[in-house]
Amino acid sequence: MSDKKTRKASIEEDDSETIEVVFFKSDSCAFCPRAEEVIRETIENFGSDVFTLKVINVSENPEAAEEYGIFALPTVMIGGVSVTGIPEPDLLMKMVLGAKVLTKKKDESE
Amino acid sequence: MSDTTIERVKTGIPGLDELIEGGFPRGDTILVAGKAGTGKSILATQFIYKGATDYNEAGVLVTLEEPPHLIKRNMIRFGMDLEKLEKEKKISIVDLSPSKEVAPVTIGEYPSFDLSGLEAIILNHVKKLNAKRVVLDTLSILAYKFKSRDILREEFFKLAASITRTGCTLLLTSEIPAHEQGFGVFDIEAFLASGVIVLYNEKISDTSRSRSIEVLKLRGSKHSSRIHSMRITDEGIRVWPGEISPGR
Repeated sequence: MSDKKTRKASIEEDDSETIEVVFFKSDSCAFCPRAEEVIRETIENFGSDVFTLKVINVSENPEAAEEYGIFALPTVMIGGVSVTGIPEPDLLMKMVLGAKVLTKKKDESE
Repeated sequence: MSDTTIERVKTGIPGLDELIEGGFPRGDTILVAGKAGTGKSILATQFIYKGATDYNEAGVLVTLEEPPHLIKRNMIRFGMDLEKLEKEKKISIVDLSPSKEVAPVTIGEYPSFDLSGLEAIILNHVKKLNAKRVVLDTLSILAYKFKSRDILREEFFKLAASITRTGCTLLLTSEIPAHEQGFGVFDIEAFLASGVIVLYNEKISDTSRSRSIEVLKLRGSKHSSRIHSMRITDEGIRVWPGEISPGR
């Protein structure tokens, strides 16, 4: 029991430092499965503890896409920037690194 | 109703219905094209407003350019209170304008995307309100937002088809760039629609301009082939069917 508690606490701590990757897809989007694969592979290269991947299926949750003004799919959003279409791993890496720098700066200023 | 009778949707623009056999054919896609400042957005918003107030038809206004608070402010000048209709769930204003604060900055685009997100967003509102009218204002902004024109063209066809399949009449606005012919930035806007309405605001002398409207095509309808006078009055857009524009 205590182990569980410790683990939970450490996950919560990790969460504050993880980078959120938000992936928007839909049921009818032909390019979305490949885009999701590329994103998952790229993220795994960094180590899964660095990221939280949030997948939003716009067919089920159109409100979320509307909130962010995202209507072309697939779109991946990392730290306030986004890419539409099947992303190249290089660009994803750059987005991730950009987000990491931002997170670090934010942490330092706090 | 016989097969040869086309059900008409009243436009809510006084004088316009008389030019087009009583209204837009229900379930059609209509393009309203014109240069900047010709009144496209006012006409499109009036179509939604009057649909809700005068004809009991709920409407969805999708704005890709102007933020909702400015649309509301501009329309209240004509006595059209969009906010009230929104609260009464007679209309929805879908804000997809670039001014949204939470919208991410797009840094890359690959030619492997579709507009199924836009479709899902619009159909969600159509379903919620049981809407009969949809406006997309303006198509042209997408040409600046996305580089892949070929994809956009194809996706527009699909999008227009899936919206009109629900029984909604779809009105699209398209800005004709200054000094250019044609009906918009894609060159295909006119093909996309079964009806094309063009608005003008031509200079007729050194000191004045004249507004006019032309029904360029409307499939399945006998329509006027003249260019008619149009004015933006205190109550919105009004067309004078008996008056031929002096400017053209």
